[in-house]
Amino acid sequence: MQRLRHLPREARDTLFLLFVIAWVIAPQTSHLPLWCSLLALCVLLWRGTLAWKGLALPSRWWLLALLVLTVGATLYTHQTLLGRDAGVTLIVVLLSLKTLELRAQRDAFVVFFLGFFTMLTNFFFSQSLLVAGAMLVGLLGLLTALVNSHMPAGKPPLRDAARIAAFMALLGAPIMAVFFVLFPRIAPLWGVPGDAMSGRSGLSSTMQVGSIASLALDDSIALRVRFEGAPPRQSELYFRGPVLSTLDGREWKLLRSTLPARWQDGANLQVDGPVVSYQVTLEPNNRPWIFVLDAAITKPQVVGHELAMTPQLQWLSDRPVSDLLRYQATSHVQFRHGPARRTPGLQDYLDLPPGFNPRTMELATQLQRDPRYGQDPDKLVAAVLERLRTGGYGYTLDPGVFGANTADEFWFDRKEGFCEHIASAFVILMRALDIPARIVTGYQGGERNNLDDYWVLRQSDAHAWAEVWLAGRGWTRVDPTAAVAPGRIGSLQRLQAPSGLIGSALASVSPAALLNLRALWEATNNRWNQWVLNYSQARQLDLLRNIGFNAPGWVDLAYVLLALVVAASGFGALWTLWERTRQDPWLRLLRRAVRHLQRAGLPAAANSPPRQLAAMLRERFGADDRRAASVCAWLLQLEAVRYAPEDGRAPAQLRLLQRELGRLPWPG
Amino acid sequence: MATSLPFALANPLRHLRARLRHFWLNRLTPRDSMVLTQRTVYILPTGAGWMLAATLLVLLVASINYQLNLGYLLTFLLAGSALVGMHLCHATLRGLALHLQPPPPGFALGNSAFAITLHNQRRRVRYGIGVSVLGADHWAWTDVGAQGSAIVHVAFRPLRRGLQEIPALTAETRFPLGTFRVWTVWRPASRLMVYPAPEVRPPALPAGEAHAGAAVDRARRHASGDYDGVRAYQRGDPRKLVVWKKAAKADELVSRDTEQAHRLELWLDLAHTGIPGNLATAGPALELALSRLCAWVLAAQRIGLDYGLRLGALHIPPASGEAQRRRCLEALAMHGNGA
Repeated sequence: MQRLRHLPREARDTLFLLFVIAWVIAPQTSHLPLWCSLLALCVLLWRGTLAWKGLALPSRWWLLALLVLTVGATLYTHQTLLGRDAGVTLIVVLLSLKTLELRAQRDAFVVFFLGFFTMLTNFFFSQSLLVAGAMLVGLLGLLTALVNSHMPAGKPPLRDAARIAAFMALLGAPIMAVFFVLFPRIAPLWGVPGDAMSGRSGLSSTMQVGSIASLALDDSIALRVRFEGAPPRQSELYFRGPVLSTLDGREWKLLRSTLPARWQDGANLQVDGPVVSYQVTLEPNNRPWIFVLDAAITKPQVVGHELAMTPQLQWLSDRPVSDLLRYQATSHVQFRHGPARRTPGLQDYLDLPPGFNPRTMELATQLQRDPRYGQDPDKLVAAVLERLRTGGYGYTLDPGVFGANTADEFWFDRKEGFCEHIASAFVILMRALDIPARIVTGYQGGERNNLDDYWVLRQSDAHAWAEVWLAGRGWTRVDPTAAVAPGRIGSLQRLQAPSGLIGSALASVSPAALLNLRALWEATNNRWNQWVLNYSQARQLDLLRNIGFNAPGWVDLAYVLLALVVAASGFGALWTLWERTRQDPWLRLLRRAVRHLQRAGLPAAANSPPRQLAAMLRERFGADDRRAASVCAWLLQLEAVRYAPEDGRAPAQLRLLQRELGRLPWPG
Repeated sequence: MATSLPFALANPLRHLRARLRHFWLNRLTPRDSMVLTQRTVYILPTGAGWMLAATLLVLLVASINYQLNLGYLLTFLLAGSALVGMHLCHATLRGLALHLQPPPPGFALGNSAFAITLHNQRRRVRYGIGVSVLGADHWAWTDVGAQGSAIVHVAFRPLRRGLQEIPALTAETRFPLGTFRVWTVWRPASRLMVYPAPEVRPPALPAGEAHAGAAVDRARRHASGDYDGVRAYQRGDPRKLVVWKKAAKADELVSRDTEQAHRLELWLDLAHTGIPGNLATAGPALELALSRLCAWVLAAQRIGLDYGLRLGALHIPPASGEAQRRRCLEALAMHGNGA
């Protein structure tokens, strides 16, 4: 500690800068290749040791060798040097290697600017409040180091530089706010590389039985919904995602029709009952899926995206949702869709891969032969659901690994699983029964945050349910999971994934406190999402509409911004003018005295000192003149205030003299 | 003009810049104290400033392309801070009072240092202010405390002797971010007395001349009861003749001149410097002779001799001490300059 305080200035500055760089890199180490994180750590430690011991920097050949090596490693890891992930790796590598070359001022600037860019790369992976806070600290740290490097004299404490950096950031904040609000949010200038969103989980367009298990354990938020008016019942909150219709071995896929296009059926959606209006805030998922409450017949209003509805009722965008997206939608929870009569297109929903699940096929044959059901699809569906309810089937998050015949294992061996096992087994059995059926994935249920009235749907609310086609009724939703575990659907009860040590400790002490804390944290986070992350062009234009623009566009935003900049510049110019005319208060008093004396005909010049003025007065009126004497006394006091001021009293004395000036018996 | 023409042809741009700078400097009123105001403080972005601008642009493009609202926040906060930094940078010099302390005389080709006091009326510290001679790149950096002052020393190498203008000075700051350079140019009004450059290895002092007022001198010698005359140590001088006290002050040995001092006095004469050539008009020969005289004056002063100076019509009677030294050196400096 003692050593730290007495480090030479250069060593201290370098160690501080290294610390800030480590701080900026740290949040993204989990997204970097391991070798890159380790390299950055080693290089920073190495550089720190050199600074601490006052040793010489390594030669340029060392650096060159390291650089070639790391660029090679980047190329090897990412198979490219372009794109987001490779770019982030390269920047971190460059930033840490550049610290080994901190020789001239220019090198320091390169480090600072790479540092600013590294901060931005953190936002590729997360824009959460925590990351924002960490980067604010990082920005202040970098600014502090930058300010400190421009204090060339002596060894000023870092605290001084930090204060100035904080002052700049504080005054810069309003500028930031204005630009953030008004800078037009335009579409990407060129195509974003495909890897831009990798690593964010969500539903998948395929379903290998077991893949939703990992999602079920993921407590992160998928979407938030705010209903205008009363929300529908929780058991009606089905948000439709990909519809999986083709079974390929054990993997469910999107419909791959073997039929010509003209035989395929359209959506044929008919809605009924009351309208539900709501607003969805969708977390980025790098998929073109726009989640809406089943079923939306009108196109959700999503700025910047072109939407279309698939025949399976799913709304798709023309490009992946790569940033937080907010949109307005209306749905009807009562609806019908699909063909009313049996069409050739339904054949796609009956196909089963041959040779799988023999026992399920056998079960289907038995059911079809059962006279109680008489091959009536309605009765068959009811019978299967009844079997799920009463056959000793259970819901579990941990069903274990299934073999090739998933449906057989579910129906006869394990008799437990979670929604996707249940839905898959159900649909396979339905198809075996010659009833068209398919799996719909999406989110179901959710949880209402009482602090801000948002419904939160997490990745753990990801769900798979079934749709069967019934003559006269079209596609009908059947949720077999509800039959197995009624609690899974339609109530707040949910299987809790094991939480962390602190979380479980808190939960055991006070479950309510944990829930409240979580609600508070999520409400804060949601505010952050709504006001900062989801600040979009639509909201900018709303703002303009509110201040009186008719049909504003982004050009108007630019105009408003420009007008503000011009106004600020004008204000600055006015202030400069005012400052130029501002006079020293003492000089102002003296000038007034001079004018009084000039009016009396004395040869007082504008720059005559007070004592000289007093001498002139005495000369003209004689030393005995009472009036002149009091003016002289005043003048000498004025002189004393300027040249022999009492400590700290000068302003008060000046005010006193100013008051006396008016009362003085000026001659003439 | 004849000499500058090829130069102008070789590098017209540089020539133009030099002319512009000259014209610009001549517009400035020379003064010894200056309070920096909006009118006298200039600001331009530095290379690092352009680099920051490029960084901001890249950050902005990345924010647009990846639709990162937090990236916008970062970009604009950085830009806002840089903008505030620009004002801070300008305010570092604006309102600062500079005052040149009367410069001590110097020698041509030597370093002439002078002190400049910086006064800060403000309640905040002004950091990182550098002062330098305009065009030279030797900066003296200082901070000026809140409502305090600081003194910096600036040096330059005068090339000619004589009473001359102090070169234009410049004060600069890049605080706090280094993205802007804020500077001012200042022409001091004070003049600097520059003595000729002393010759590096001058020949020995000339021999003394016959005494004009021997009686006076003898009387003085008797009154003081000491030897007046000393001369440089010569090989073979007995040790008891060495003036050890003076040897301790000066770096060379000095012997008592028991005889000559009574009869001879030391005159340093422009006409007897041993330098051939035309000494009546300005030229290299005259400068060389003045350099030698200057070196002699310094040598005589160092060993404590009385010395007089003859520069054409100007006669400075023999004496010693700081006043004599100054009088002689100024005469040398101004010789032929119309003084």
